[in-house]
Order: sequence, then C-alpha cells, then structure tokens
Amino acid sequence: MYLMDTLVFISIFALLSMSLNVEYGYTGLANFGKVAFFMAGAYTYAITISLGLPFYISLIMAALIPALIGGLVSLPALRLREDYLAIVTLAIGEILRIFVKAEQWLTGGVWGIAIPSIFGGLGLSIEMMALANVLFSWGIVIIIFVLLRLIINTPYGRVLLSIREDDIAVKTLGKNPILYKAQAFMLGSAIAGIAGGFFAQYIRYIDPYMFLPLLTFTVWVMLILGGTANHWGAVAGAMIVEMFNRGSRIAKDYLVLPFDPHNVQFILFGILIILFLLYRPYGLFREKPLKTGAEVEILKWQSSSSTK
Amino acid sequence: MAILVINEVSKSFGSLQVLKKISLEVQAGTITGLVGPNGSGKSTLLSTVFGLHKIDGGSVYFQDQPVTGLPPHRMYQKGIAFSFQIPRLFFQLTVLDNLLMAAREHIGTKFYGALFLRHRWQQQETQLVKKAGEILKMLNLFKLVNHKAGELSGGQRKLLEIGRVLMSDPAMIFLDEPAAGVNPVLSREIYQKLHLLCQKGLSILLVEHKLEMLLDFADYVYMMDSGQILLAGKPQAVISDPLFYQVYIGETKNAAVSS
Repeated sequence: MYLMDTLVFISIFALLSMSLNVEYGYTGLANFGKVAFFMAGAYTYAITISLGLPFYISLIMAALIPALIGGLVSLPALRLREDYLAIVTLAIGEILRIFVKAEQWLTGGVWGIAIPSIFGGLGLSIEMMALANVLFSWGIVIIIFVLLRLIINTPYGRVLLSIREDDIAVKTLGKNPILYKAQAFMLGSAIAGIAGGFFAQYIRYIDPYMFLPLLTFTVWVMLILGGTANHWGAVAGAMIVEMFNRGSRIAKDYLVLPFDPHNVQFILFGILIILFLLYRPYGLFREKPLKTGAEVEILKWQSSSSTK
Repeated sequence: MAILVINEVSKSFGSLQVLKKISLEVQAGTITGLVGPNGSGKSTLLSTVFGLHKIDGGSVYFQDQPVTGLPPHRMYQKGIAFSFQIPRLFFQLTVLDNLLMAAREHIGTKFYGALFLRHRWQQQETQLVKKAGEILKMLNLFKLVNHKAGELSGGQRKLLEIGRVLMSDPAMIFLDEPAAGVNPVLSREIYQKLHLLCQKGLSILLVEHKLEMLLDFADYVYMMDSGQILLAGKPQAVISDPLFYQVYIGETKNAAVSS
C-alpha cells in the first residue's frame, strides 16, 4: 500500500517536474509559482466535480483553468527579465493561495473541500483502488510524456529552445518571443493543473495549507537533479527526490541516530544541489539535440549530392 | 529605385545623442556601406532602424511602405534580415537548427502546425534542409552541421550568423561587419557571394571597416561621425576625400567641429 502511495506521488511530481521543464528547461522561464497552478488545478477539479460534472470533464477543466490563469499572468510578467519573472510568479503563488483561503463560498476557505474518488462507486477493495490510482496516474504521465516529446521535437520546440538561448536573436528572425513564452507558460500551467486535479481526486480532501511554496522548490530540486531540457530527467528527478524523501521518513523508525534523518534530508538536498551545480550543472540526464528529422535529412542530402 | 529610405532618424541613450537626424537611401540591388570611427553611430543606426531600439524621431520607409518603429519580428516579416556584429547564435542548438530557425513562414513553428500538420512541415523541412546544406557548403561549415553552435570558433560563429541571414531569402539585409574575424580569403568570398546576390536583386546595408572591401564591392558609401553623415558618394570618391582621412584615420574631434 505504501509503495502504491509512493508511486502515485511520484507520478504527480513527475507531472509537475515535466511542466516546469517545459517552462524552464526548454523555454528558460523561471517559474517560482508552480504551486499556484497546481493548486488552481486541484481546486478547479474539486469545484467542478462538486457541481456534478463527470471526472474527465473536471480533469480537462483542471488543465484549462490554470492554463487560462497562466495566460493572464504571463501577459504582464513575461515582458520582465528572468529574475523578475521569478519574483512575480512567486508572489502569484501566494496571492492565489490567500484568495483560496479567503473566498469561502467558492473554495471552502481553510476548511477545504472533500472530493469523491473516481474509483469510489465501483465497490473496489482498498488495494484495488490504490492500484487503479497508480495505473491511472501513470497513464497520464505516459500520455503527457509522449505528447511533450512530440511537441518539443518539432520546429516549434526549436523556437522554444532558441528563446531560452537568446530571445533577442529570435526576434530578429521573425518570431515574437512573447507569444511563444506565453504558450509555453500556458502549456506548463495546464500540465501542472492536471497534476493538481489528479492530486485532489487521489487525496480526496484539499485545503490551502497543502499548497505552500515549499512544493515549488521541491519541484525545482527534482528538475535540477534530474536534468533540465531532458524528458527522462524530469521523471527521474521526481522519482529520486520522492523516494529519498520517503526513505528518510522510514529510516527514522529503524535507524538509531543522534539526529532525525527526515530533517537531515533537507540539509542533504542542499548539499546535493550545490554539488550538482558545481560538478554536473546539467543534472543526471543531459540535454539531447532535437530530433525533428532534419538532422537525418541533411546527411541524406549530403550523400546524394556528393555521389552526383 | 530606393528600397529603403531613412528620413531624419534620431536616437538618444540618456543624455547621449547617438543619431542626429540621419537621412540616407539604399538603392535596390546595391551594396551600401557605412564607415566611420568607433562610436559614430553606425551600428546604432542599423539596430534602431530594425526596431531593436525604440526610435526617437524620424521615419523609415521600406519598399515605399512606412515601417517606422515596427518591432524586429515585423521587420523580418517585411523582408529585412539583420546580422549582429557579435554573433548571437543559439549555442546549445546544432548548426543546422540555427539555420533552420531563420526559415520564414515555417508551418511547424506554430504550436498547432507542429502538432497537427506534421506531414506538411516535414516536407517543408526537407526543402529547407537542402537550402541550409548549400549555405553551409558555401561557408565551409558543412562538416560541423550536427555540432552545437557553441563548439564553433569565433570566425565560424560569424559565418554562421551570416548564413542565418541568407537562409531567410530576404529582400534586404543589414550586416554589421560581416567580415570581422573571418580570414581574408573567406571574407572576400563572402563579399563575392553577397555581390552575386545583389545582382539577383538583394539590397544590402552594411557597416565595414575594411576599406578594400568597400572599394571592391560597395556601390555607395556613407561616412558617419558623431551621429551625423559627413560624406556620401561612390566609395572611391569618399575614401579619397581629405575629410575622410582627417576624421577616420587622423584626429576625429577637430575635424568634426571644423566641418
């Protein structure tokens, strides 16, 4: 059971980490308000499901509403320089959380909202329900993973990467970086929203205190350790950090140490990040060149033109 | 026929007035050169007209259409390409990807197109790849085609920057010292190539310090100093003008005042 729970949480974090990867890894947007879009997704799911909508519609809404919020936020914020964007997004995370806490009529305020599980009415045993959740969440992860690979390995992905490298040069090549940044931001927010929607469904009760800024930083740690601009890196990072987190919690009960291993993990993470940034700044998985098909075509063209 | 008309363009950075009501014209199908001492405003003129800086005053017409104050990506869509003095490449991307980024109206660069019109953009890309291949062969960069741009040497980066400009089939290009840091034989080849493209209708406005290149390839030359145009004419005439020697090779300030 504990393993199943771990698997579900890894999948939620994998989604968040992938969504940050779209924004930061590929497009170079430092979003420090990830938790806001995660929360927006969770609350959208909770509210729409309580209105009696079927779960798949709610899940789609949980992607659309955060994407919309992301789009609105991005309009003023994306004109700012990288570091200011980080500050603005951090603030938005807190603003949204305070909004959720205050607007009781909509969100239940500090009392939160209870949400029925998708698999609730099927008469499944607890074990089977957990298994269903694992399969469902990893199904989402696989779909998003495949979709992102499809989107990134295209000329569109090439523009996103170029914006990360030099957005002024992109401007001189006839593409409006603001437009692409907004799209990447919306895409990232939509994925975070799906993660939030699923999280709400799984945990079956949400309140504003579950969405503290710490969550954003956890996702950042995952992405940095796993490797930015690499699809596997985002998933691997989520896996490592979450297992480490849980492992240290278990270790607390079995190891007799003069300190609490669960607290020590935060120190360890700090050290790990510093070590990674010093010696392996690109993370566990390195960025790969794009595979749009052009890299193969050019070699074909070369061999055909040289034989002539 | 003038393809580009720059009319009394001014630009200040803070209290420093870099361009003082500059007016000039570029005839279609020619290479027009800008010379002048460092800090005379040549690069600023190019980047301001291209929309990289906000224009303070004056107007710009391209192909008889007003383009004053348009942002760079709109200028590009109008048919002007811009090359930086210091190459601004996408260093983590391959040489090929750098070139393909410059393609105009590529359906696959749109979110919708990339995802749903896969077949169409792949066809487009096959065509673009051929063109990129030709350009890379010309610039002696083909062997590095699938290497990251960040692995190139300084001169090769400059070549790639030029290649990126040629990739977009522009009607006009702004070049800021196209031959800086490139070896003499290759820089002459670049100019020959540019000259050839001009005969096919391309118009070029460029900044250049190498006088022999201007003498051999430029059709018209403007000489700038302290944000103003001092001399204009055929390269031979401008370069042999005594004022040119005074300002460009001798003492700058006195000459500018006495003029």
